[in-house]
Amino acid sequence: MIELLPHIVNGLTLGLLFALIALGFTLIVGVMEVINLAHGSLFALGAYFALATIGGDWFASTEFGIWWLGLPIGTRYATALAVGPLLAAASGMAIELCLRPTYGKAPLYGLLLTFGAALVVEEVIRLVWGTGEQNLSVPQAINGAFLMGGLIFSKYKFFAAAFALAAIALVWVFLERTPYGAIIKAGSHDSEMVRALGYDLSKLRLLVFGFGAALAGLAGIILAPIWGLRPHIGLDVVIPAFLIIVIGGVGSFWGAVLAALLVGMSVGITGAYAPAWSMMSMYLLLIAVVGFRARGLLGRKSALEN
Amino acid sequence: MISLSDIPARGGSPFTRSMGLFVLLLLTAPFWLEPIGLYQYLGMEIAIWILFALGFNLLFGYAGLHSFGHGAYLGIGAYAFGLFQQNVTLNLWGGLLAAIAAATLAGAIVGAFVSHRRGIYFALMTIAFGQVFWFAAIKLHSVTGGEDGLLGIPRPNLVVGPLKLDISDNRTLYWFVTIVLLVAVLALWRLVNAPFGRVLQAIRQNETRARFVGYNVWLIKWLTFVVSAGFAGLAGGLFAMAQESAYPDVMSLHQSGLIVMMVLVGGGLVSFWGPVFGVLLYFIARDIIGGLTETWLLWFGLMFVIMVMVRPEGLAGLFHVLRTCLPPGPRKAVGPAAHPGRA
Repeated sequence: MIELLPHIVNGLTLGLLFALIALGFTLIVGVMEVINLAHGSLFALGAYFALATIGGDWFASTEFGIWWLGLPIGTRYATALAVGPLLAAASGMAIELCLRPTYGKAPLYGLLLTFGAALVVEEVIRLVWGTGEQNLSVPQAINGAFLMGGLIFSKYKFFAAAFALAAIALVWVFLERTPYGAIIKAGSHDSEMVRALGYDLSKLRLLVFGFGAALAGLAGIILAPIWGLRPHIGLDVVIPAFLIIVIGGVGSFWGAVLAALLVGMSVGITGAYAPAWSMMSMYLLLIAVVGFRARGLLGRKSALEN
Repeated sequence: MISLSDIPARGGSPFTRSMGLFVLLLLTAPFWLEPIGLYQYLGMEIAIWILFALGFNLLFGYAGLHSFGHGAYLGIGAYAFGLFQQNVTLNLWGGLLAAIAAATLAGAIVGAFVSHRRGIYFALMTIAFGQVFWFAAIKLHSVTGGEDGLLGIPRPNLVVGPLKLDISDNRTLYWFVTIVLLVAVLALWRLVNAPFGRVLQAIRQNETRARFVGYNVWLIKWLTFVVSAGFAGLAGGLFAMAQESAYPDVMSLHQSGLIVMMVLVGGGLVSFWGPVFGVLLYFIARDIIGGLTETWLLWFGLMFVIMVMVRPEGLAGLFHVLRTCLPPGPRKAVGPAAHPGRA
């Protein structure tokens, strides 16, 4: 049991990080009934925008750039944590505007359009940032490793897990304890009624998509130092997010969190016995869960089933 | 929006004008490919992908089952062909049969899991299974050669009765692929214009109603999945011969998504020939835009996004609308879609 401990801790942190990725995804699926395959691309965009903000090579020669690069990394990192998600949200809103002609048609079209958008974003990233792997630097305070009970743990992983936990809590408070959250939840429950009550549905969708994209961008910044940054990370990341949504039940907040922890744990524990096959376990988990419960663990009926 | 069933099925003889044009293009391709600046191998590649796309459209366009993991069966066919040549015996027909059998078997197993699903859940399950196969192909080093794949797959001689032909150069192999493709196209044409094809369309339009009419929907969906996987396997066997190798890349989600894009852009949802346009467009984009700029996938992706936004029926739908709009003559107008809003 004790030798399994690091793997369990690993699995738990991985699960929390997966939950962070899946949050924005589930929000968008719930309200818009669009499977946003570009979610991973927004994740990548957030991280790349943060990279551009922290590194700042492209404006380094200007006076502002010299002053900016002279600032401590902590300040620059904190700024990037705000800039990245904001720009990702703007990109997400642009995708939402493109999605509008597909509303009311089969959900397949939304899926296909976002797949195309994912391709486009990936190529744009290649064009702007190059094809190589990049590193997002983080402040010294959260870098490095520490010892606990004779085992070595990475400080950054704990920071990331704590951050994910905080983000999950904040999103929950936003959805459950604010009037905006009430409107969003109502929109995912019965969008016609929300429109009848006088809320602008297209504005709501735009904002929800932007919010989901910002969460994706945030997840990208947090995860980039762990997974590395490469142009095709979008497609690598969207698959787990996607599996988690299906396992947890489409549009369910706690379903997504629960499924993310399950997936993280199963990857972590298979990692102990067969490291090469650890990523396979999440697909098998999906097949097992969805084979028996079509709507996932905590899912409810949705238009996507047609 | 129009759909497949709004275009009157011709049924009967497959020898229509479109078929004639298709055969003509295929048979003359080796003579004009090089003069217009392309190369022989491209013709073969396109023919193989047309075979794959047409088989896929049986599932995607006709039955309305949106599989996002179909590259897996192409890959399985390719591996089966290669393993047969390397471990059993050097035989063309044996290899192709092994490719079809392996893909059919995989399709039968996966089909049993996914056939009671529909819509997005079907797509999700096919993605998951596609990823499992892709992952297995990468990790089973001893069988598949891992990320590099199987290399040095031979192109065995074509033996028909007493006849023995060497098809190892690109041009003769092209002829062989073309003949296989034509046989497959005729078979698929018969299949979709037979009552079976009509039942598929009924399932696409309203599965519940098809079940109440008395069809065993599960069995028909499963069969369609299996047949479609079998065609993918055949295409995979040919692909292994063309590439002289088999590798996991064709099984990735990326490739499986590309085939969906090709079929949709071409108009597989509204026409039997849609996938052909889509494959042609993709390879033209790859070779011509790809010759001009490194980022051809960006432009192809943008074109695809715009297509989904303004004309989700694809190229074939566009041709159909143009044809019905231009001459005000006696041509029958397109009737209203049976189920507006559903494709």
